[in-house]
Amino acid sequence: MTSSSMVDVTTKGPSMRRNFWRGVWRVMKRKPSRLFGALLMALFVFMATIGPMLYSRPLPRDPNNFFASPSLRHPFGTDFQGTDVLSLVVIGSRYVLLTALITAVVTIVLGASIGLFAGYRRGRMDAVLMRITDINLTIPGIPILLVLSTVWQFASPWEMGLVLGLLGWGALARAVRSQTLSLRERGFIEAARGLGLSTPHIVFRELLPPIAPYIAMNLLMSMILAVWAQVGLFFLGVMPVIGENWGVMLNRAVFDFGAMTTAARLPYMLAPLLALMLLTVAIVLVVDAMDEIFNPRLREE
Amino acid sequence: MISGRGIVKTFRQRGDVLGKREVKALRGVDFTIPRGGAISFIGESGCGKTTLGRIIAGLETYDEGELTIDGVAMSSLRPRAQQPHFRRVQLIHQDPYSALNPTRTIHQALHDPLKLRARQLGASSSWMYQRARELLQLVDLDPDHVLARYPHQLSGGMRQRVVIARSLTVDPDVLIADEAVSMIDVSLRLGILSLLRDLRERLGVSLLYITHDVATARYIGADGDMYVIYRGQIIERGPTETVIANPVHPYTQSLLSAIPVLYGMEQPGPEQVKPLNPADAGTDDSGAAAAQAGIDDTGCLFADRCPFRTDRCTAETPVLGLAAPEHQDDVAETGGGRVHACFHPIPRQVAATSVQKT
Amino acid sequence: MPLATRSATGGTSDTPGAAGVRIRGLTVVYKTPAGELPAVRDINLELPAGTVTGLVGESGSGKSTLALSLLNAVQPPGRIAAGQVEIDGIGDVVGLRGERLRKVRGGQVGYVFQAAQNSLNPLKTVGKQLLDLGRSHDVDNLRALVAEAKQLLGRMGLDGARVLDSYQHELSGGMRQRVGIMFALVLNAHLVVLDEPTTALDMITQANILEIIRDIHAERGLTTLVITHDIGVVAEVADRLAVMYGGQVVEQGPVRTVLGDPHHPYTRGLIRAIPRLTGGIDEAQALPGRPPNLMTLPTQGCVFRERCPLRMEVCETVDPPRVHLAGRLVACHAMTGPSDVTPTGHEGATR
Repeated sequence: MTSSSMVDVTTKGPSMRRNFWRGVWRVMKRKPSRLFGALLMALFVFMATIGPMLYSRPLPRDPNNFFASPSLRHPFGTDFQGTDVLSLVVIGSRYVLLTALITAVVTIVLGASIGLFAGYRRGRMDAVLMRITDINLTIPGIPILLVLSTVWQFASPWEMGLVLGLLGWGALARAVRSQTLSLRERGFIEAARGLGLSTPHIVFRELLPPIAPYIAMNLLMSMILAVWAQVGLFFLGVMPVIGENWGVMLNRAVFDFGAMTTAARLPYMLAPLLALMLLTVAIVLVVDAMDEIFNPRLREE
Repeated sequence: MISGRGIVKTFRQRGDVLGKREVKALRGVDFTIPRGGAISFIGESGCGKTTLGRIIAGLETYDEGELTIDGVAMSSLRPRAQQPHFRRVQLIHQDPYSALNPTRTIHQALHDPLKLRARQLGASSSWMYQRARELLQLVDLDPDHVLARYPHQLSGGMRQRVVIARSLTVDPDVLIADEAVSMIDVSLRLGILSLLRDLRERLGVSLLYITHDVATARYIGADGDMYVIYRGQIIERGPTETVIANPVHPYTQSLLSAIPVLYGMEQPGPEQVKPLNPADAGTDDSGAAAAQAGIDDTGCLFADRCPFRTDRCTAETPVLGLAAPEHQDDVAETGGGRVHACFHPIPRQVAATSVQKT
Repeated sequence: MPLATRSATGGTSDTPGAAGVRIRGLTVVYKTPAGELPAVRDINLELPAGTVTGLVGESGSGKSTLALSLLNAVQPPGRIAAGQVEIDGIGDVVGLRGERLRKVRGGQVGYVFQAAQNSLNPLKTVGKQLLDLGRSHDVDNLRALVAEAKQLLGRMGLDGARVLDSYQHELSGGMRQRVGIMFALVLNAHLVVLDEPTTALDMITQANILEIIRDIHAERGLTTLVITHDIGVVAEVADRLAVMYGGQVVEQGPVRTVLGDPHHPYTRGLIRAIPRLTGGIDEAQALPGRPPNLMTLPTQGCVFRERCPLRMEVCETVDPPRVHLAGRLVACHAMTGPSDVTPTGHEGATR
C-alpha cells in the first residue's frame, strides 16, 4: 500500500542476492584450501579469457634458440621453433577451458533437465527418457570420436565440447532422476502441487535448488573429465594434431621430439602437464565447498 | 461443502510375476464436510484416514465413488478441470520439517502461491507483499522476523504456522490437518490447535482434522462430527461429544479405553474395553496382514478382535447405519445423528473423567 | 516363572533385586561454537529401587542426555562435566571406562533406545542378534539365553521362536518395541531405561506396551526409568514423576500427587495445555512462549522465567532453591513462600 512497503518489495531481491554472495564468501573463508582453489580457478579463467590477447600473433620465433632451457625470459624454455612455451600454454588454455565449459554446460543442461523431468513426471515420460539415457550410456565414446574426426577437424572448442557433452550426459541424468524420485515424496513438493503451482515452477524452483549442490559438483567433475578427455585424445593422436592446445603440445613433445628421452626438451612436455594438474587441483578444491554454498544451513553457521 | 459417497481405494502393490497384492485402503466411505464446519477422522495408522484426506485434497486418486466439491461432481471433470476445485482444499502436513523447502526463504515460500492468487485477482506485487505479512500476522508470527529466514532457522511450531499461512495464500474453503501437531513440542501443540480453531471462526474455513488422538479432535471440533475409521471403513459416526461420552462400537470403545489416563487428575472410565488380541500379534499389522492374506471379507472387520462378538458378526456384514435392521429402535435410541456398524451396539462409558477436586 | 532360567544366563547375580540410582550434581555440557553449554545442569535425582520413574520433558529439555548419562554414554561433543551417577551394585558410572563400562551397558543396565522400532539390524534375524549380544557379554550358556529370550517374548504375548527367526521388516512397530525390551532385559538387567517407548505407536498398541512394561517391571523386580514427552504415558506407567525443563528437574514427586496438584508453573502449564476427553474444552490453555534450546538457555537464574506467569525479579539472577512441598520437590522461587517450607541445598535435595 504505502510507499515504504513498495520500497521493501523492490529491495527484497537484490538484498537476498547479496546475502547469498556473502554466504559464499563465508563458506570459502572457512578453509584456506578453498581460497587457494578459487584463486587458481580465477587465474585459469584469466589465462583463458585475457591471456591470448597479451601475445601478438604470430608468436615470435627465435631460430637461434630451439629448445632453450628455462630462463627468466622463457620460464618454461622454448619449443622446436624457438617459441616461448609459456605463451603456448597460455594460448592453449583457451581451447581447453572453453571445451570443458561447453561440455559441462551441455552435460548439465541435458542431464539435469532430463533427470528432473523423468523423476518428477514418472510414468511413460520417465520410461521413454530413461531408455534414451540408457542408449546414451551404452554409446562407445572413443570409436564415435574416431569416426567423427575423419569428418571434423575439431579445431573449434565448440565442436569438441558439444560432442563430449552429448556423449556424457547419461550418468548425470540417471543420478539426478534418482535424487528427484526421493525428493518428490517430500512434503514441500506435495504442498506445491496442492497449491496449484505449475510443473516448471515445481521442477525449477522447488526441486532444482535442493539438488543444486549435486549438480554443481557434477558440473565441476565433468569439467575435469572433459579436460582430460580432450587432452588425451589430442595427445594420443586420435584427433588431428593441429591447432593450439595442451594436448597438441604434449603430442608433439612426446612423439615428434622425444621429450621423454631428451632432458633439454622436458620442459616443453612438463609445462602443459603442470597446467593440467593445477587446473584439476583447483576444481577439486572448489568442489569441496559446493555442498555448503548451496545449503542455506551450512552457508550460515 | 464437500461430500464423498462410497469412496473406494485399493492399492496394488507390485508383487512377483504370479500375483499382485492388493491392500484395500478404503472400502466405500461416505462423509460430509459442512461449510464452515469441523469434522474429524479417528483411527489407527493404516486405517485409511490419511489416504482419505489426500483424496479429498486431490493428491490421490480413488477407484470408485463420487467426490463432490460445492455441488460439482469431480468425476464429471477432466483432471485439469478438477484442479481449481481441489485448490480450495489445502492439506497441512504432519511433518513441518519436510513441508517447507529448505533452500527457500519463508518469503519465497509464500510469494509463489501468492503470485498465482494475484494473477487471479488482478492484484499488484505490493498486494502480494502486504498479503504475505498479513497472513503471517494471522498465524501469530512476526513478519519482520520471519520473512527473510530459512525454515531451519525456525522452530517446529513456527514452521507449522508458516505451513498454515502458506495454505491460506490461496484462500481455501477447507483445511485438512493430518496429525498436524504430532511432531511438535507438547507445550506448543495447543497453540497450533487453537490457531486452527481460530481460523475457522475468523475466516469461516471448514476443518477436517485427521488424527489418532481423540482429545485433540474434540478440542478442534467439539461441535462437529467424528468419524471412527477401522480398516478402511467408517464403523461409527456421530457428534463428537456423543461418540466420546457414549461410544457404541467396541472398536471405538477400545480406542477410547487405550487413551492414557492422567491418574491424580482423572479416573478411568468404568467400562473400559480391551481388544482381544493386540493389533499386532501376527507378524504384521493386523489390518494389512489380513487384507494381504486375502482373508474373506464377510462379517464385521473387527470381529477377530472384538470381545463381544457373536456368530452373527462373522456370518453377516454390518453396514453403517443399517447394522441392526430388526432392532430399528436400537439405532433410534442411540440417536442424535449417530450411526454405527455393529450388530450389538451397547453404549459403554470408557472415556476418562476428571476427578472433582476437593 | 520367568525367573526359572535366570541364573543360567550368567548375568550378575551379586545384586539380587532392583538397583536404585542416585544422581548427584550431574552436569553435562556440549561443545558449541559459543563455548561449552550445559544441556543438563546440576541435577539431583533419585530412582528408588523397585520404582518406575517417569521423566517428562520437551525436546531440548535434556531428558535424553540425562538418560544417556546413566550409561555414561554421552557422545562427543557432549561430556559429563561434573557429578555422580551411583547405581547399586555398580558404583559411580561416571568413573567407569573401557571394558567394565561395556559390560555394564546392556548387561546390568538395559537400555531401550528411542527409535527401538528401527534399532534392529535389518540384515540379521532377531535370534542372530541375540547370540551376538550373548557372545559380546561372554555368556557361556547361549542355549539358556535363547530360552530366556523366548520366555520373555512369550510373556509379552509374542511367539518367541517365530520372532527370533524373523528379520526386522517382518515385525510390526509394536513387536519391534517388545523385541527391544527383550534385548534390554535378557541379560538380567535390574535397571532399565526406556527412551520414548511408545512414540510412533498407535493408541491401542501403546496401551498394550505400557501394560507390558508395568507387568514385567513388577515380575522381575526392576528399577525402571521411562523417558517421554507424553505426560499420559508417565501417568499410566510410573510411580514417580520428574519434570525436566531447560536441563533442570523442576518438579518431582509421586505421580498422582504431582498430577493431582502440580506446583511448578511449568508443570501446571504443561498439564493445562493438554486437551482432555471430558470437561470444558476451554480448560485447555496454551503455554505461551517456546522451549529454550542450548543457545537460548539462561545460564543463571530460573530456566523457565521467560514463559512464567509468576516471574519475579529474583528469578533473573538466582537459581531457584529446591523446596520440599506437599510430598514433592519443586524448584521455584514462587514456592519459597512465607515460612513453613524448608529450602534445601543441593546436598539435601534428593533425600
